[in-house]
Amino acid sequence: MSDDLDTGAEKTWCTGCGNFGILASMKKAVKELEERDISRDRLVISTGIGCHGKIFDYLNLSGIYSLHGREVASAQGIKLGNPDLKIIAFGGDGDCYGEGLAHLLFAAKRNIDITVIVHNNGAYALTTGQASPTSPKGFKGPATPEGSVEPPIEPLGLLLSAGATFVARGYAGKVEHLSNLIVQAVEHPGFAHIDVLQPSVVFTDRYDEYNDKVEELKEVKKTRMDAMELAGISDRLPVGVFYREEKSTYDRELLGEGNPVEDRMSDEKRFEVIKRSMEM
Amino acid sequence: MLYKSSRGVEDKGLFTVIIGGKAGQGVKKAGEAVSKYFLKKRRYAFEMDDYQSLIRGGHNFVSVSSSTHEIFSHHMKAEVLVNLDKRSYDTHREHLAPEGMNFFNSDEVKDGRGIGIPLTEMSKEFKRPGLILGVAGISILTAVTGENKEFLRSLVEEIYPRGKQDNTEFSEMVYDDVVDKIDRTLELKEGDCSDNMFTGNTSVALGGAAAGLDLYFAYPMTPASTILHFYASHGEKFGVTAVHPESEIAVANMAIGATIAGARSMVGTSGGGFALMAEAFSLAGMIESPVLFVLSSRPGPATGAPTYTEQGDLGFALHQGHGDFPRIVVSPGDMREAFYLTADMLSLVWKYQVPGILLTEKHLSESSMCMDVDPSGASTVEPRMHEGSGEYNRYSFTDDGISPLAFPPSQGIIKWNGEEHDPRGLTTSSAEGLAAMHEKRDKKRKAICDDIRKRRSVNVYGSGENVIFTYGSTTLSVREALRCSGIEAKVVQPIYLRPLPTWELKKHVDDRSIVVEQSVAQQFSTLLEDKIGLEPKSVIKQYDGRPFEPVELAEKIQEAIR
Repeated sequence: MSDDLDTGAEKTWCTGCGNFGILASMKKAVKELEERDISRDRLVISTGIGCHGKIFDYLNLSGIYSLHGREVASAQGIKLGNPDLKIIAFGGDGDCYGEGLAHLLFAAKRNIDITVIVHNNGAYALTTGQASPTSPKGFKGPATPEGSVEPPIEPLGLLLSAGATFVARGYAGKVEHLSNLIVQAVEHPGFAHIDVLQPSVVFTDRYDEYNDKVEELKEVKKTRMDAMELAGISDRLPVGVFYREEKSTYDRELLGEGNPVEDRMSDEKRFEVIKRSMEM
Repeated sequence: MLYKSSRGVEDKGLFTVIIGGKAGQGVKKAGEAVSKYFLKKRRYAFEMDDYQSLIRGGHNFVSVSSSTHEIFSHHMKAEVLVNLDKRSYDTHREHLAPEGMNFFNSDEVKDGRGIGIPLTEMSKEFKRPGLILGVAGISILTAVTGENKEFLRSLVEEIYPRGKQDNTEFSEMVYDDVVDKIDRTLELKEGDCSDNMFTGNTSVALGGAAAGLDLYFAYPMTPASTILHFYASHGEKFGVTAVHPESEIAVANMAIGATIAGARSMVGTSGGGFALMAEAFSLAGMIESPVLFVLSSRPGPATGAPTYTEQGDLGFALHQGHGDFPRIVVSPGDMREAFYLTADMLSLVWKYQVPGILLTEKHLSESSMCMDVDPSGASTVEPRMHEGSGEYNRYSFTDDGISPLAFPPSQGIIKWNGEEHDPRGLTTSSAEGLAAMHEKRDKKRKAICDDIRKRRSVNVYGSGENVIFTYGSTTLSVREALRCSGIEAKVVQPIYLRPLPTWELKKHVDDRSIVVEQSVAQQFSTLLEDKIGLEPKSVIKQYDGRPFEPVELAEKIQEAIR
């Protein structure tokens, strides 16, 4: 069957890579969103640089292949240009939790209505496996041959404390579940974040560990504190929506009901307003 | 000597007011009041604020020069000198014109020469004594020029609406004291100027709005910040939204993102911020995103001197961003040109889908002068759009390298790609693919050159055997130096810096050429040497953070052309 969400570009991820699960989940989510009246021409994607970013070439959706760590800044710019669009930014853990962390935290803080999906594989895979912000202490890679001396950051707790209004964890090995999370995140009116456990078969093959520890959450936590506590546990790996609340969004606070690309005044009107303001 | 003769011969009507004091005493506001006074007299005026990067204390001053003729710079010889504190008195004694009158705060300066006014004592009965002192500036000017209290009151009410009653009372106390103490008044002729005064930054902001700007992104950085403030306060009525995100990196990347949605976006910063935007600038070159970057220079390197002026970023602006890609760099020579050029640039970057830089300096950004523009004469944004629906290639090959644009929502998929790409926008690293896309973008470079050949790319002012090459805000200093001294020379100012209109500039090269610029490494002179083989007879340069003083500059020019 032809797949109209596929560009036909050659997939260069390793066989068995968790990225395939994320790609499949995304395609499924797009179809589900279409069922819910969010047409695919209103979906715009933004990606960073790393193995995750290759999804830009594979997904037949409009968007930008941005810089390393800047996909969340690009995504916010698109949203402010046309707030009627639904923006999904794909990032990697090195990219989004390292180089571009400030953009992520500020996007969460201002509750701009975009979705961020982080392919969290715990390594810089495309650059041959250096330790990333989420690599455990002791992680061995070409830049840490004796093992990393740094402890990892815990992304969900960080996003919760930054003020994210939709925080979830998914697993690349659970396509149906992840797809459902993406649909909820896109539909969420505000900043939505999904951290996806994504095994890299070459550098961080944690399929066995994840299959053992991952369990689906039955309910969303009532408070931010409860969600943060849940994010901190490591003996199990709960997946699902940790926390959700509705708050006014940055784009609407800034633009009101306006749309910069659709509500332009005529040249004549604008010239007149400028002329008048210069006479004052 | 030159100063006296020039005033005698060329401009009897030149009148300068300098007001100095501590930050927080209302020096800048006092300058605004003086400017307003001159405008009410229909005189041409130029205001330059000299201030430090601090909130209270230090030393700030403002110089407002005016004339019955068009004037292009402030002067540093004052007919009326107002010193609100001791440091001002000590600093500005040398800035008194031969017939000038020196006023000082006699509570701070003991045994001063000139006319002492007990400003601190007088202000004590008011609520905010420190802040109110600057009001004295307009009181003194009004009294010295023989204007009445009614005139003073209307000005004070207009310029100082906050604490109106206190300010009015204080200003009248000062006025009465001055009238009692002076034995002569200074004549101030009416002019025929009907324009308002604008800072370069306001002019840039209005020019952007005229062209149809949608979004302005910026992180605060002197001397570009007032563009952000202008749009934040007034943007709504022109349809411009101001956005202040977490960093200059976010600023540049958001601005690029906005263009993908079809929004016209502009950013503004100074050297340090522009350095942080380097990678995004290159991204804009690669994905062919039309973003206009305003770079308002201050002395560098690093944090340098935040509130002063310099032209040390020319080379940086010309070479911003890694990799080979076309871009446009311009620099306006006065406030009026800043308006039209900003609009032209927004139009051009959209026409060619390239990043552009409007390079200026603190002296133009924050000084103000009289200007008049016709907004309907501004360029507007009219990009080449994709027609029809269905299949779309973001980077389709065309004769001039310009691929038609499409914006979401769209049936055809629009792929903007920061990695090298094929016409669809999908990543490629094939040898043919890389070469083909480089050539496509390079075609735009040639197209831009052809376009600029049809435009006015160089301003030429005056005539004479001697040729002075200059650019940016230094053009203002050079024009005023010639105007006030009567020196005959031809001023050649390239508006476009990349591509540099060598075809125009070469026409003016001769062995008597001199260059005037504000860069210790004489970057502009070096550029002209490299591009048009200019071997200047002399390079007049200043790099102390201050704009040239026109009379001093005239002396240097006189010496250079002798």
